[in-house]
Amino acid sequence: MENKYNLKSPAVKRLMKEAAELREPTEHYHAQPLEENLFEWHFSVRGPPDSDFDGGVYHGRIVLPPEYPMKPPSIILLTPNGRFEVGKKICLSISGHHPETWQPSWSIRTALIAIIGFMPTKGEGAIGSLDYTPEERKALAKKSQDFFCESCSCCMRSALLALTPNSNPSAEDHKAKELAQQINFKAESSLSRQSSESSGAASEPSTHTLGDSSTASGQEDADRPQAEQAEPPSVSRAEQPPAAPTERPLSPRQRRAQRRGEQPPREPAANRAAFVPANRQHQDESHAGSAALILVLTLALAVLIFRRIYLAQEYKFDYDF
Amino acid sequence: MRSHRRRKQTWTAKMAEEQQESSQGEVEGVNCLAYDEAIIAQQDRIQQEIANSNPLVSDRQELTVLQREYAEEDSVYQLKIKDLHKKYSYIRKTRPDGNCFYRAFGFAHLESLLDDSKELQRFKAVAAKSKLDLVNEGFTEFTIEDFHNTFMDLIELCEKQPSLQELLNSFNDQNVSDYVVVYLRLLTSGYLQREHVFFQHFIEGGRSVKEFCQQEVEPMSKESDHIHIIALAQALNVSILVEYMDRGEGGTVNHHVFPEGGDPRIFLLYRPGHYDILYK
Repeated sequence: MENKYNLKSPAVKRLMKEAAELREPTEHYHAQPLEENLFEWHFSVRGPPDSDFDGGVYHGRIVLPPEYPMKPPSIILLTPNGRFEVGKKICLSISGHHPETWQPSWSIRTALIAIIGFMPTKGEGAIGSLDYTPEERKALAKKSQDFFCESCSCCMRSALLALTPNSNPSAEDHKAKELAQQINFKAESSLSRQSSESSGAASEPSTHTLGDSSTASGQEDADRPQAEQAEPPSVSRAEQPPAAPTERPLSPRQRRAQRRGEQPPREPAANRAAFVPANRQHQDESHAGSAALILVLTLALAVLIFRRIYLAQEYKFDYDF
Repeated sequence: MRSHRRRKQTWTAKMAEEQQESSQGEVEGVNCLAYDEAIIAQQDRIQQEIANSNPLVSDRQELTVLQREYAEEDSVYQLKIKDLHKKYSYIRKTRPDGNCFYRAFGFAHLESLLDDSKELQRFKAVAAKSKLDLVNEGFTEFTIEDFHNTFMDLIELCEKQPSLQELLNSFNDQNVSDYVVVYLRLLTSGYLQREHVFFQHFIEGGRSVKEFCQQEVEPMSKESDHIHIIALAQALNVSILVEYMDRGEGGTVNHHVFPEGGDPRIFLLYRPGHYDILYK
């Protein structure tokens, strides 16, 4: 493998290191690159104890972007588990309550521990998440041991070190839970996956998180906590996964809502109220809904721009006075 | 600190407007569920545009370039630029990508080390030891050592008395430059967490210092505020002076030295949402 890659590439250097670091399976996880591709890994993780996944061992793929570790890995589960859909990318959320983004000092091991920690959390209807009953999950956990992966020819029964009475699952478990609280995962939607597949492999990197390296999102994230305070909690809750797209169109209003503190609060209440139903409507995911949303937002934007011009002129007038 | 953040919003709001206007046409035909993709693609494009028109670190320019950035009748800014002229003659711009504070600091400081071998040796020792401090705090050694090595390589480059152009080239190599930014972010995060008892008082929203670091310090593109600057200045024991230029009345530019009472080596210009380097 060493000859195939440019050792000066930061990603290659880092992945080689990670491969060495993760070479031996532990009791809880194992991951190694495929023989023919350093940028695709296969992993196995043990289901967390004291959960419906206890006794299960789950297998999956990790796809690393060329910019790794500056951009996050994508994770795809291959074993049916009742928590994540099989064969779909789980990305860092772009729409979570905590606008978490990937950190370059995290590693594949961080991602594996986070996956373990994330399994017992609720799917809550997020796209790509599953909320199977405990019985179904327990049955899948039992069955998972029989899973055999042909591409890395490994069987789940022997993929990880056996648990011993000496092993201390609670320490690992605690770490996993802590990580899961920090990181927000979300499964990639099936439709967007189709579109990214149809547009070819070139679009693959674009499925990574929004927060990555874009200034605008960075700023938005930084602003968001304040903006959320200005909204009724039910709205931000309702906005959760399917409404992710509204995040962007909403932001000008959110910013204005924030700035209202500095300016006389002259925005008509009706204007603000008009947004809330528009958001809800958007959740229908109907085309008409999104068209209406765009229309409303365009109008609102126009109103706000005019208001701003008006305020600016008035301000100058005062000033000249 | 809160009012400081508000000032940034003029700029961000403007950007969001532009983004929204152009996104309306394109997004319409796409199914709602593909919005994520469309937004990400849009952001990538905007990012690319910013990248194409701004080098990561620019050449040194006459300060007069600032006058042309604002309308002549924009008396608030024009007065402040005049005030700035009393103290400074040149400016070096950085790319507005959310990492500008770290990049501006990193470049300005290494540049100043080119003709100060005493400070260079002190700084090298501090930087060399810093990795161990981070590891002792719980950072994983093998994940941070590439960033640390890149940082040390640059300091060693400075020891060899390279031309300014060489240093500038390194800082404009995205891989090198971003790794330096990552390491400076880690140093900032490490210092904040080490001194968490003190810094806890300055963190809003009921977050712990650790959470704050994970959300606002370590991820790339997260902008810097007073708290980040104080932490990095203290972590490396380098004094930084920031000139604040915004829409506030008064006609003069206010400055702040981090940490207070220090003898600043590095001069940065802050305009809402962005840091550039100033030279006397």
